[in-house]
Amino acid sequence: MGIQRYHFARDVEEALSLLAAYEGRGALVAGGVDVMLSLPPETEGLIDVTTAGLSYVEERKGELRVGAATTLARLQGASETGRYLGGFLREVLRLVANPALRNMATLGGALVSAHSWADIPTVLIALGAVAVWREDGKEERATVEELYARPFRGIFRRAVLTEIRFPHWDGAFAFEKISRNAGDIALLNAACGLGLDDEGRIAWARVALGATPRRGQRLPGIEEMLVGETPSEALWERVQREAEAQAQVGDDMRASAGWRRAVAGVLVRRALSRAAGKLRERGTG
Amino acid sequence: MKIYFELNGEPQYVEIEPGERLLDLLRRLGAKSVKEGCGTGECGSCTVLLDGRPVRSCLTFAAKANGHRVTTLEGLAPDGEMHPIQRAFLETGAVQCGFCTPGFVLTAYAFLRENPDPTPEEVREALVGNLCRCTGYVKIVEAVLLAAQWKREGVWS
Repeated sequence: MGIQRYHFARDVEEALSLLAAYEGRGALVAGGVDVMLSLPPETEGLIDVTTAGLSYVEERKGELRVGAATTLARLQGASETGRYLGGFLREVLRLVANPALRNMATLGGALVSAHSWADIPTVLIALGAVAVWREDGKEERATVEELYARPFRGIFRRAVLTEIRFPHWDGAFAFEKISRNAGDIALLNAACGLGLDDEGRIAWARVALGATPRRGQRLPGIEEMLVGETPSEALWERVQREAEAQAQVGDDMRASAGWRRAVAGVLVRRALSRAAGKLRERGTG
Repeated sequence: MKIYFELNGEPQYVEIEPGERLLDLLRRLGAKSVKEGCGTGECGSCTVLLDGRPVRSCLTFAAKANGHRVTTLEGLAPDGEMHPIQRAFLETGAVQCGFCTPGFVLTAYAFLRENPDPTPEEVREALVGNLCRCTGYVKIVEAVLLAAQWKREGVWS
């Protein structure tokens, strides 16, 4: 039958009622980057949520809150983003896709599309980001990590993702990515963070690895081994070997599992070492 | 459905298919500088400016133009006289088959308006989403740097 209508939702409630009215034959559009290429053939109605008041970046209750329809370019340029974790998200977004696609793609779209090779899911998981959505007249929320552990794609055929919340972290994060060229998707990516206690020992650590070729996942064994340790080259060497051992990697058309295993250790080491360097520069490490 | 938008400064009130791509609409309206290369948002040949910002018209629903300004290469040279960025591409030998050139020129135009004094590295970063299969990128980067110099000298604004 093909696309019959294109709606501009005035608010989230209207988007929800349109979704319900199409009974599975409606699709939400934000940036449209993925929707255009992967529209189910039964789709009859497109519901544009970029007009639904979901484009904003704000600081509230110590968190960075981002409307789901905020483009990656707008998020990258927001002063609030510059203040969050010393501009960590800007560091990441500069490496995501290219300027034109960042003008189109939205943070919510990247979360829901959840491509296994994508950089943003890895970062959302490392940061403990929380997804907020509206469904059946209720607001629901879950960490992105919890959401990805469920069959989440079905949720967003009847619900509207409204916001992504980034919690406050007393520490620093760094992101590493390796791809065939600057505009290509990742062959592997890593987002790592750590915080120090008063004695300069690691109080907490977050380590996530993505494009393995599976979607980003944390490496809890590495996070645990870091706590209580003092940052040093010897520690990073040990972390590199452990990350190689613990990374769940596989083959695909882009890279072999063996290559990914070796590179996983290097990326995790680089990311943690750079995060520790940021703390030193700030005089907190 | 009908949409209203501005194409290269001219008002357009046109009937579109609800699932139509902006790329197809613009070519239908005569903006033949808009090229379809990959059709998946990777090559940059279909780049146009939406409210002054580069986007991929192959991945943009035409409906999204409603109420907005769209600029294609035709809009940069409205009287048939080449824009200085186009002249810089010719002068440096940055054009071979020319298929990718409109996307490069529009990307460069938007970039130089934000950063009129870029380093070669910044130019390469701005052009990372535009692919050329003929010339390589050395001449294209030179062209953008030359256009930047002309902009600083007041040749264009």
